[in-house]
Amino acid sequence: MAQIWPIGGGKGGSGKSFLTSSLGRLLAAMGKKTLLVDLDLGSANLHTLLGVPYPEKSFSDFIRKKITLLEDIVLETPINNLFIISGAHDSLDIANLPYEQKIKTVRAIARLDYDWILLDLGAGTSFNTLDFFLISQNSIFVTTPEPTSIENVYRLVRSIYFRRIRQYFTATEFKTLEREVETQFGEGSFNKPDCIIQVIKLAHPEKGEILESDFNSFKFKLVLNQLRKHDNIVLGSQICKIIEKHLGFHIEFAGNVTHDDRVHDAICQRVSFLERYPYTRTAYDLRELSKNIAKSGNQQLMLRYS
Amino acid sequence: MQKDFAKLNYYEMLDISPVAAFFEIRHAYNAALQIYGADSMVSYSLFSNDERKKILNHLERAYLTLINAQERKKYDKELGQAGLLPQVEGRTPLKRPACIYDVKRQTGVKIMPKKTNKTILRENVEGNKKISEILSRPEISGTDLKSIRNELGIPLEEIAQETRVRLDYLTYIEEDKTNRLPAIAFLKGFIKAYLKILCLEPVDDICARYMKWLENAGKKS
Repeated sequence: MAQIWPIGGGKGGSGKSFLTSSLGRLLAAMGKKTLLVDLDLGSANLHTLLGVPYPEKSFSDFIRKKITLLEDIVLETPINNLFIISGAHDSLDIANLPYEQKIKTVRAIARLDYDWILLDLGAGTSFNTLDFFLISQNSIFVTTPEPTSIENVYRLVRSIYFRRIRQYFTATEFKTLEREVETQFGEGSFNKPDCIIQVIKLAHPEKGEILESDFNSFKFKLVLNQLRKHDNIVLGSQICKIIEKHLGFHIEFAGNVTHDDRVHDAICQRVSFLERYPYTRTAYDLRELSKNIAKSGNQQLMLRYS
Repeated sequence: MQKDFAKLNYYEMLDISPVAAFFEIRHAYNAALQIYGADSMVSYSLFSNDERKKILNHLERAYLTLINAQERKKYDKELGQAGLLPQVEGRTPLKRPACIYDVKRQTGVKIMPKKTNKTILRENVEGNKKISEILSRPEISGTDLKSIRNELGIPLEEIAQETRVRLDYLTYIEEDKTNRLPAIAFLKGFIKAYLKILCLEPVDDICARYMKWLENAGKKS
């Protein structure tokens, strides 16, 4: 059973793709067969970070049914043990993936035979992104120490919550639910997942229970990226604390990654930052992060087999 | 699952143990203000203005209740009656930061209340012939003070701890190392504090006699 870890964060430019490629390299270096899937549909560029500038096959071949098996669009990278499903040269309307194809993709991803599968998700809280988040009980949120980015993390967490609730109800059921929440908690309250949950617990106790155990089984991780010298180093753990207290999600702070201008240089030169600058603070942070994530992955595997 | 903040008890609001000491409460309140304050980056956009105000009000009430010993006792009692106060084992409540160096510290033994301690000391001073002989001298040296202290059986460390005078200064005084003593103004204070701990009276008079001895010792050398 593969470890599937979606990596997202709401805001663009927070370093999701860079983090995904770095984690992929590090996990592969640990001897784990790792697959990176570029699901940043419509603005994919993971292949560029991995030194595959002209991928022969891409995700849209699968969507367009040119290639029927997802396994067949997996590409090798110059790095040992590391594979990629590229989103390059996608058809221009791929950003709006129809529901059936999304479900098909999700199932196909879950069936792939790899030790680790990292999903690089796009910015924003479109249904595409949310559904890919909900494939797995684990996921990594990336944020930078800026109010704009933090705002989007909260937004994303709430949207995931909301999407999960929505999946358990039909459209008409949900409409009545919405109306009931409005009458009970006042206008605009159906935007607050906690109000909805309270109503569900009363109206549909069995569904409420399923949802509750569902939310309790989520194990999120938060990475604070691009931390500069004068930034508050406990910011990440404070955010986790407040999410846990007010949104009720288990979220664990996985670590800071220090800002470094040389990341930009490495991307421009299209070389691996970890290889070009292995003794920088940022590289050290990334290695620590990969160890942390690999460890929690092992814990979960043991739980599943016991 | 998400819990209503208003339904948490004060300890949960501030994220502290029910036996937290006062300085821990103050620290927790400061930390909470950093998280929930209006210009905090952590809680930015998570709450509406009204929600934030409510949370801050709750926090303030929690802090003001817990920091006040009487109010806290009352609140603990209420919680206890409702069965909501979690029992914490293996930790006794702290009243103030523990002394790093406490010569009298013994686990399980209660230190004798100060009052009885003093009356016993006073009786000892009055009943002891050697002490009254020393006290009747016109000049009193540091060595005399040391022999009085030895008669009473009080360790020098205890005096250092009670008076907060540095141990090496007390040693210099007792060993008559006149060249190592602090300035006269400080020395007077130290001597008086020393005498008070040993219940030697009248303090001013004995101190004056020590100073006289010191003057003569200086002339001799």
